[in-house]
Amino acid sequence: MRQQYAWRSKLLAGALAFFALMIVSQMFRIQMSVEAAEFRVQAKSYSSETKTFYPDRGEIYDRNGSLLAGNQIVFEVGVNLNMHKDINVIASTVSTVLGLDYNQLLYDITNPPVPNLSYLVLADFVDEPKAKRLMEIRQKMDEQAPDGVAGALNALEFKSHPMRSYPEESLGSNILGFVNREGRGYFGVEEKYNDILAGNPVRVTIPTDPNQAINIPRIPDGSTLILTIDRDLQAAAEQTLDDALALYGAQNGIIMIIDPRNGETLAVAASKRMDLNKFWDYGVVYENASDFNPAISKPYEPGSVIKILTMAAALDSQTAVRSTRYLDTGAILVGGVEIRNWDNNAWGDQDMTGCLQHSLNVCMAWLSTQMGPETFYGYMNNFGLGHLTAVDMAGEAAGRLKVPGDADWYPVDLGTNAFGQGVAVTPIQLLTATSAVANHGRMVTPHVLYAMVRDGRQYNAPAQYAGTPIRAETADTLSDMLAYSLELESSNALVPGYRVAGKTGTAQIPVDGYYDETQTNASFIGWGPVDDPRFMIYVWLERPSASIWGSQTAAPVFSEMAKQTVVIMDIPPDRIRLSLASK
Amino acid sequence: MTRTTPWRNFDFLLLGAIVLASAFGTAMIRSAIAENEVLLPLINRQIYFALLGLVVIFLFAAIDYRYWLSIYLFLYFGIMMFLISLSSLGQVAFGAQRWFQVGVLFLQPTEFAKIVVILILAKYFEATQYQPRDLKWVLKGFIWTFGLMVWILLQPNLSNVVVIMVIFGAMLWINGLQIKHIFLFGGIGAVALALVVSLTVAGIRIPFLQEYQQQRIANFVLPDPNATFGAVYNVQQALIAIGSGGYFGQGYGHGSQTQLRFLKVRHTDFIFSATAEEFGLLGGVLIILVLALVVWRCIRAAQKARDLSGSMIAFGVAVLIFFQGAVNIGVNLNIVPVSGLPLPFISYGGSGLTSLMLGIGLVESVAMRHKQMEF
Repeated sequence: MRQQYAWRSKLLAGALAFFALMIVSQMFRIQMSVEAAEFRVQAKSYSSETKTFYPDRGEIYDRNGSLLAGNQIVFEVGVNLNMHKDINVIASTVSTVLGLDYNQLLYDITNPPVPNLSYLVLADFVDEPKAKRLMEIRQKMDEQAPDGVAGALNALEFKSHPMRSYPEESLGSNILGFVNREGRGYFGVEEKYNDILAGNPVRVTIPTDPNQAINIPRIPDGSTLILTIDRDLQAAAEQTLDDALALYGAQNGIIMIIDPRNGETLAVAASKRMDLNKFWDYGVVYENASDFNPAISKPYEPGSVIKILTMAAALDSQTAVRSTRYLDTGAILVGGVEIRNWDNNAWGDQDMTGCLQHSLNVCMAWLSTQMGPETFYGYMNNFGLGHLTAVDMAGEAAGRLKVPGDADWYPVDLGTNAFGQGVAVTPIQLLTATSAVANHGRMVTPHVLYAMVRDGRQYNAPAQYAGTPIRAETADTLSDMLAYSLELESSNALVPGYRVAGKTGTAQIPVDGYYDETQTNASFIGWGPVDDPRFMIYVWLERPSASIWGSQTAAPVFSEMAKQTVVIMDIPPDRIRLSLASK
Repeated sequence: MTRTTPWRNFDFLLLGAIVLASAFGTAMIRSAIAENEVLLPLINRQIYFALLGLVVIFLFAAIDYRYWLSIYLFLYFGIMMFLISLSSLGQVAFGAQRWFQVGVLFLQPTEFAKIVVILILAKYFEATQYQPRDLKWVLKGFIWTFGLMVWILLQPNLSNVVVIMVIFGAMLWINGLQIKHIFLFGGIGAVALALVVSLTVAGIRIPFLQEYQQQRIANFVLPDPNATFGAVYNVQQALIAIGSGGYFGQGYGHGSQTQLRFLKVRHTDFIFSATAEEFGLLGGVLIILVLALVVWRCIRAAQKARDLSGSMIAFGVAVLIFFQGAVNIGVNLNIVPVSGLPLPFISYGGSGLTSLMLGIGLVESVAMRHKQMEF
C-alpha cells in the first residue's frame, strides 16, 4: 500500500468501526426498549398451549355382541384458493374419484360463496380409500411436475376427523339415533346416553418446549353400551313390517317387541328408517321429529287394544268377574251421548270374555260407567297413561289422558275412553301398561340398555318395575280370557304350538274433529306363551287400505312376527316346554 | 519453493478465533435445528466441513499465495465455467442444479467465486499499481470482476453480487480511486437502478433479464408492502427472539422462539437471533467480538504484507467477512433489508464455511510471508 493512501484505510476502518458500533447499539436498544418487555411476554405466551382431548366415542352393541355403532376416520377434502391451482384438473379428478358433478365443482371453485375465501370445502366425510386415492394422485402429479413447480393438485387439502359409523346402516336407526358433525348425539340411544358415550374431554396445558415434555394424560374412551336389542330379531321385525306395509297397503307402521318379564326392548321396527352414516339426509327422510321413532314419540288413539286395560280395571276393582253377563242392546247413553258398537249391531247376552272377543264398545262403556270415573281413571293413571314410561331412548312423548276436572273432559269421555277413543297413547305406553297383565300384575319399565362397559368392566342395567296396577289373579284371569277369546274366534293372530293372548284394535282416525270411517289405525297387542310370557309384540299399521280392520291386518302380522320370534329366541313350543316342566 | 515455511509467523490468534467461531456455530446449529428430523444430519455435515476447513487453512497457509496469482487465468476461467453451468444458460445446456455434488459434499461455486474475485483483483491492482488512477484503470478492473459477477447475477443471486461489488469498491478505494469518479459511478449506478425499477413498475420487460429477476431487483429497492409478509414475519420473530433473550439469554436449547420454530431459517440466516435469544446480549456481543477479532487480524496481515497483492488478498478477505457478518446481523436487527447472506463461520453452510476458511488460509499465507523485519 502506498503511503499516500494511508488516510483512505483509516477512513475505511472508521466506517467499519462505525457500522459495528451501530449494530451493538441497536442490540442494546432492542434490549432496553419498551418493546423488549412486550417481546418477553410474547415469547412466554408461545411457551405453552392448552389443548382439549376428546375421548373416542363409546361403541354400541346389540345383546349378542353385534356392532351397531362404531367409529371411523373420514376426510374433509378442500381446496386452498390462495394457491396456484389448475381448476380443471382439480374438478375433473375430484369429481371422478368422489363421484361428484364436474360442472358443479367447477362452478363452486370459481364462484366461492364469500369473496376472498381462502379455503373451500369440496366434500366431507370422504372415506379413507377414496381420500388416499386422491392423495396418491396429488403426489404423482407433484412428482411429474417440473422442478420448482407445484403439481396441478397441490392446492387440494385433506383434514382427517373421526366419524360415527353404523355398519348396519339403517337397521334399528330409530333406536340408535345418530351423531352430528360436532359429535353430539341426536335421537334414540345416541342422544339419551350422549354424555356416557362421549366420555369426558380433558383439557391439558402443554409446554411447547420440547425440553419440558410432559406425559399427555391417558384419555379414557367413552363407555361402550350393550343394548337389549336383538339384531336378528330387529332385522326380522323390519322385514316383516315392510312386507306387511306392502301387503296391506298401509302408510306407516310399527312393530315393537319387548320382554314383558323385565322390560327389555328386543326390537323396535319403524317403517321410516334412514342410513345413519348419512345423517345429513335426516331432513329428507323425516318431516317431523316424531316420525324418527313413532313407537315412543307418536301418541295416537289406540282404539280397542285399550279394552284390555278397561277389563283389567273392571276385574281388579271387582266391578265385574269373568262370568259376569251383560245384555248388549247395541247402544248405551253416556253423558247424554249414544255409544254404539263397531258394527252398529246388538250382540245380546255376553259374558266378559265375549265382550273382549267381539270387542264390544257398549259393554266397555257400561263397565267404565259401572266403575265410575274415579276408579276407572285411577286405574288408567296407574297403568301409566298420560305419563312418560322413562324408556331410555330420547324423544319420548307422554300422550294425553283427560281426567275429570280437565277443561276438555266431558262425561262422555268416560264411555269412549273405555274403548280407546279420546285418549292419546304411544305404543310403548300400551306395551308398558299391558305388561302388567302378562307379568302377573307387575308393570315393567321398558328399556334398551342392557349393560355399560367402562374401563374393561361391565355394569349391567337391572330391570326396573313401575308398580303393580292390578293384582296377580286379575292379570292371570285376564290373560286366560284374552287367549281363550282368540282361540274361540280362530283369530288370525294365533301362533301354532304356542298359546298367545292378545287384542286387536281398529281406531278410526280423527280428521278435522270427526272420525273418518275409512281411515283407521289397525293395531294388535299380544304376548306369549301365556303361562310364561317371553315376548310381547305390538303391531300398528297406519291407514291400511286392504282392510280397515285390525283383525284382518295387524293380527296376522302379529302371528307372523311371533312365529319368527319363537324361532330367533329359541322358545320351545308349549307342548315340549310343559312336558319337560312336568317331569 | 525451496525456502522453509516460517510457521512461527502463523497467526494462531486468527486460527483460534476461527476455531472458536465455527465450534460455537456448530453448537448453535444443533440447538437451532430444534430436533427437526430433516435437518438433523446438518450438524454432522457442518462438523465435517469445519474439519475440512481447518485442513484447508493449513494447506493454503503452507502454499505461497503468489502461486495462486501465477495461475490466475486458470482459476478465473475455471470458476467461470462452473458458474456458467449454474446459470440459467447452463441450466438449459446441462440441466444443472445450484450446487455440484462432489462425493457426499455439495459445493456451491458462488462461494468460491468470491475468493477467486479477491485473488483476481489482488493480481490486477498489483499489476496496475503504478498506472494512473483514471477511468480506464477502474473499467478494466470492473470488467475482470464483471466476468464472474454476471453469472452470479443471472442465477440470480443479488446478495452475492452486492458482496462482490463491495469488495471491488473497497479495493478501488484503498488503491486510490479518485473522488470525482466515486460520484460518477454512484450517479451511473443510481440512474441504472432507477431505470430498472421504473421499467419494472411500468411493466416493461428489459431484454436479457428474466421477468422475476427484474422483479427481484425492483423489490430489492422498493419492497412491496403487501408482498413481504414472509420477510416481515421473519424479522418480527427475530426481534422477539433477540428482545426476549435479555442480558444472559434463556439458556442453551431453551429459547422458545428458536425451539418452537417460530424463527425460520434459524440455522442459517437467523442464527444470530437464535444465539441472542439463548445466550442473550452477552452471546450476541461475543459473536461480534470474535468476528471483529478475525477482521482485525486480517487487516493486520494486510498491513504487514510484503507486497500489494498479499495486502489486497488479506484486505479482500477482511472486507468479505466484515460485510457478510454486518449484513447478516443487520438483517437480524432490522437495520438492513432482508437478504440471504450467512453469518461467517457461524451459520450453516458447507461451501460458505470452507470457502471462508480457504480465504483465511490465504490470509495466513500472507501473514507467514510478511515483510522481513527480523534477522
